Amino acid sequence: MIEIRGLQKAFGAVGVLRGIDLDIADGEVVALIGRSGCGKTTLLRCINFLETYEAGEIRLDGQPLWYRTGADGVRRRMGDAEARRMRQQMGIVFQQYNLFPHMTVLDNVVLGPRFSQGVSALEAEALGRRLLARVGLEGKMSAYPAQLSGGQQQRVAIARALAMRPKVLLLDEITSALDPELVGEVEDVIRSLLSDRIMLVLVTHAVGFAREIAHRIAYIADGAIAELGKPAEVLDRPKDPGLKEFLRRVRS
Amino acid sequence: MPAGSLQLLAQGAIVSLLLAASAIVGGTLLAIVLAVMAFSRLAAVRAGYRVYVYVVRGTPLLVLALLLFYALPALDLRTGPYIAGTLVLIIYTAALFAEVFRGGVLAIPRPQWESARSLGLPPLAMFRKVVAPLVTRYTLPPYVNVCVMTVKASSVLSIISVWELTLAAREIIERTFAVFTVLGLAAAFYFVMCFGIDRLGRRLERHLALRGFAGERA
Ligand SMILES: Nc1ncnc2c1ncn2[C@@H]1O[C@H](COP(=O)(O)OP(=O)(O)OP(=O)(O)O)[C@@H](O)[C@H]1O
Ligand SMILES: [Mg+2]
Repeated sequence: MIEIRGLQKAFGAVGVLRGIDLDIADGEVVALIGRSGCGKTTLLRCINFLETYEAGEIRLDGQPLWYRTGADGVRRRMGDAEARRMRQQMGIVFQQYNLFPHMTVLDNVVLGPRFSQGVSALEAEALGRRLLARVGLEGKMSAYPAQLSGGQQQRVAIARALAMRPKVLLLDEITSALDPELVGEVEDVIRSLLSDRIMLVLVTHAVGFAREIAHRIAYIADGAIAELGKPAEVLDRPKDPGLKEFLRRVRS
Repeated sequence: MPAGSLQLLAQGAIVSLLLAASAIVGGTLLAIVLAVMAFSRLAAVRAGYRVYVYVVRGTPLLVLALLLFYALPALDLRTGPYIAGTLVLIIYTAALFAEVFRGGVLAIPRPQWESARSLGLPPLAMFRKVVAPLVTRYTLPPYVNVCVMTVKASSVLSIISVWELTLAAREIIERTFAVFTVLGLAAAFYFVMCFGIDRLGRRLERHLALRGFAGERA
């Protein structure tokens, strides 16, 4: 499980996250919604430590992530080697796929297990083939990313993240850059992950999809979680006036 | 022009090519170390990089060559002009290559770094599998440019009595006074060498082209 306590992040003088508290249980799917610029991406990036943050704690299965407070009370970044070990327990997929352009699809997927986790070449390749078959790309193993459609690239990116056998997958608007007819194929892949009981944290503007797959939805506003609950509660009986306004707008 | 002159020039050209090749290989290796230094977390290491590049790039090759030629014996290193000449070329090209590589590293889009980091790749794997392949592709044209320049720059070493194409040409001219024929031939040799490197570079470029991008040849 993931425990986030009092997470604060500012860019310069501008506080973006002002105390995020969120627990995610094993196998839980949490959708993050909120106005553009409210800090959804920043929160995911902090969880994966692609951004530093000034205060707060994140734990994964009880292990504190990214920062340590020493006996002297000073908060320090954890060592690089340790941070790498922690990162291997989570996967992140970006809106823009960000595959490695100089590698085949299979090599993209195999890279992490092979060189971060030291899995043998043979085993890593078998895993890569299995995962690519799972996302429906068995015919594209030796293609290069630029030879694929956006939806196909995004499915490779998901397979690449899954190849690390992560405990949690962070998905940042992974269908937003896709043509409408390609959204379905990526959503199908996310649906298929539900049976794995892997933790999913997904940022999305697709409220319908969030309702379908999320166990809970968190509405972020003013740098904090303003409303959190089951999809039916948050989407159908919103209490926060900002959320009501937000839902009116995304539905119109 | 007496018989045998052409042969002498050809031999000189081979020496020039060997000098340039050693400088390119040695300079590239040194430049990789330098470029890694340029992105060090330690400010002192980064400063070391800048000092190296500014000093070497800011000094005429001719002066560098003379300096090393006189400095090495003074340091009790009996090396002779060939070692000194090769060293000078390595030191010089390394500064130019290093800047080319640094530019390539800066050109890697931030999302690529983040993908590699989020996979938890250790530094060496990150370098071998992501940074080096991308930088190679980004920097091939300016890299070939420096290689071509190195071939021509090797002519400066004639000043410290390295017998190569330019010195061979000057010796023949002193004997035959066929100034324009000999210089013309020497220039032709340089041109062929540079042209060859250019063609090699183009082939490599095509070979390494990122598949699926516009401009790729079928
Ligand atoms: N690197 C940065 N430097 C300065 N400000 C930043 C940086 N990244 C994000 N911000 C600011 O932080 C705020 C939150 O950005 P973030 O990308 O997390 O929003 P978001 O909720 O993901 O929005 P969207 O729905 O548009 O993706 C924004 O106001 C943004 O301008
Ligand atoms: Mg965002």
